[in-house]
Amino acid sequence: MANSKLYYFLLFAMMGMVFLSLGGGIWGADQSIGHWTGVLFQSVCHQDPARSFSVFGTPMAVNSRCFGIFAGTFAGWVMIPLLPMFNFKNKQGLVVLLFAVMLQILDYSGNLLGYWENTNLSRVLLGGFLGVAVSLSLSDFFYNDNQT
Amino acid sequence: MEEEIQTQEDPSYKIGDYMPSAGIVGVIFSLITFVTGLFFGYQQINSEPTGSFFSPFMISSGVICLISALAGLLAVWHFTREVSPKLKLGQGAVLGFLTGAVIAILSVVFSELWVMLFDPEYTDKILSSLIANIEEMEMPSAQKNDMIDAMAESVSSEQSILRQLFMGIPVTGLINLITALIGVKIFAEKPEEKF
Repeated sequence: MANSKLYYFLLFAMMGMVFLSLGGGIWGADQSIGHWTGVLFQSVCHQDPARSFSVFGTPMAVNSRCFGIFAGTFAGWVMIPLLPMFNFKNKQGLVVLLFAVMLQILDYSGNLLGYWENTNLSRVLLGGFLGVAVSLSLSDFFYNDNQT
Repeated sequence: MEEEIQTQEDPSYKIGDYMPSAGIVGVIFSLITFVTGLFFGYQQINSEPTGSFFSPFMISSGVICLISALAGLLAVWHFTREVSPKLKLGQGAVLGFLTGAVIAILSVVFSELWVMLFDPEYTDKILSSLIANIEEMEMPSAQKNDMIDAMAESVSSEQSILRQLFMGIPVTGLINLITALIGVKIFAEKPEEKF
């Protein structure tokens, strides 16, 4: 694997980010907002408890879409060393990533304008798709499909 | 001569080499996010409570997150234009993290300056408006009270500047680090294949 140090550094960083995004419930707090885990994410997420999953009865430190993005990026990152097994060709990685971003904007706008109402499940799935697309678009830095 | 070749084929940069790009892009993006936040913030303050989730303040969170995530990508673009077209993946990662750190620090500084110099009651007015909006929401009163408590706690926790600074840097830095890697993929000069 190329750039292995950066790969493992980011693997642990992403793992930490996903774990901390679970919020104050893990640490026995009643709320994530105001808890130190919530403060970590307050500059990147609105953290509305009504649009977040709960862990041990406490809303997570990020909303469902952000959690999907973080978890999806981590899942995609874990998949990178396994890609040679699937003979993965990263030819359209950036196109898929752009498509995933457009899908987020479309979903957010459609909900905002009242065309449909998204749910925690739909937000986490779309966010997860974006996260996986981010990781897979970067996969050729770590795994070169020409090497197979 | 050898050193020159080393610079061209396998460039190594010091932190100071990254700072013009991280600084310029960081300043621009922190200003954009600050002004966007203020715009939506005053819209929130001047709006009637509707009970809708999509208050101006909530919309601003999504917009600001999306905008600030692009900073890492643009910092790499700036670096490849102004410093050197050659940028390795790890170097792009450092540049992205530094850019995120600059944004995290300056956003806090700008917000504090605004409150100190121009509108000392800004935070209280935002909080009052958000609480009024939550009170109009159709949900069980226990859940409503929890949301109001959380909101009040969130705003009061923002009072600690040092806490905001040190807690804001890791996540903003990591997000911009990842977008900087995408920037390296798009903008940096690819090394020539060696056979």
